[in-house]
Amino acid sequence: MYKRTGWIGPAMALLGVALSVLVLWMVFFWVPTETNQGVIQRIFYMHVPAAWVAFMAFGVVAFASAVYLWLGDERADMAAVAAAEGGIIFTGVVLLTGPLWGKIAWGTYWTWEPRLTLTLLLFFIYVGYFMVRAATENPEKGKRFAAVVGIVGALDIPLIHVSVLWFRSLHPEPVVLKAEGPTLHPDMLTTLLMGFLSFTVLFVGLLILRYGLERAQRELNLRQVAG
Amino acid sequence: MMRRSFKIFGLVLMVAALVPLAAGPLGAQAENLGQQGLGRAYWHVFLAYAIAWVFIFGWIVSIARRLGRLERSLQNQDG
Repeated sequence: MYKRTGWIGPAMALLGVALSVLVLWMVFFWVPTETNQGVIQRIFYMHVPAAWVAFMAFGVVAFASAVYLWLGDERADMAAVAAAEGGIIFTGVVLLTGPLWGKIAWGTYWTWEPRLTLTLLLFFIYVGYFMVRAATENPEKGKRFAAVVGIVGALDIPLIHVSVLWFRSLHPEPVVLKAEGPTLHPDMLTTLLMGFLSFTVLFVGLLILRYGLERAQRELNLRQVAG
Repeated sequence: MMRRSFKIFGLVLMVAALVPLAAGPLGAQAENLGQQGLGRAYWHVFLAYAIAWVFIFGWIVSIARRLGRLERSLQNQDG
């Protein structure tokens, strides 16, 4: 059926789903319960990998956008669009699951502390990425404007990472990316790493499929213009 | 096409805006600290995983449907 996407995308997406089912089993039946926060800490194994994938996706957008601005290669623009859509999906997951954790851990669904605020800003920047594309009369101009938004928006990612270190924050500090190494129970670290792997494989598979979709759409548009 | 995109992103913006709006005054919420039962924590964990999978499967279905439609359009043009 999907001859324009090849078999790698669907295969990786299926593998990602299978790995995610394994992660669900680990989260609910295998990993020990964290002593301070209790059962609510189990959101961590999905919340953090979703954030990682969102950052990776927006990193791809920034890189592909820079390539597009530099070389004018349509494939880079298609990759940026595909990655931006995925990034918005996974940031949405982060923004909705974090408050569910926060309500139990902090007593509030939302607080305007730096990491949460910057993550919400990231989400809006990339929603803006698509709005900028659609808002210009000249599609080529829209692509270039969106590429600039895609690059500038990614500057928010390192700020999100260091915000818990630079500012007073309710959000916990990193437990894996630390100078002294991860400070997690080995079973928790294994579950988290499996979460990273499953979401990464799933995202790459879906990115390939979404890229194929974008290519097919542009091919159809070209034919309609030519015909 | 452009109007449809705006409608979709308008909806996304509205949903995203509901997240911070769902937060009440911090003082009142702080009173709830320590009053949460274990059942509520489980409910939040299940809800979080459900939301994540609704988003991800929603994206998968959306890609598959759009791709299928485009494939059919291109095949029709090929004759």
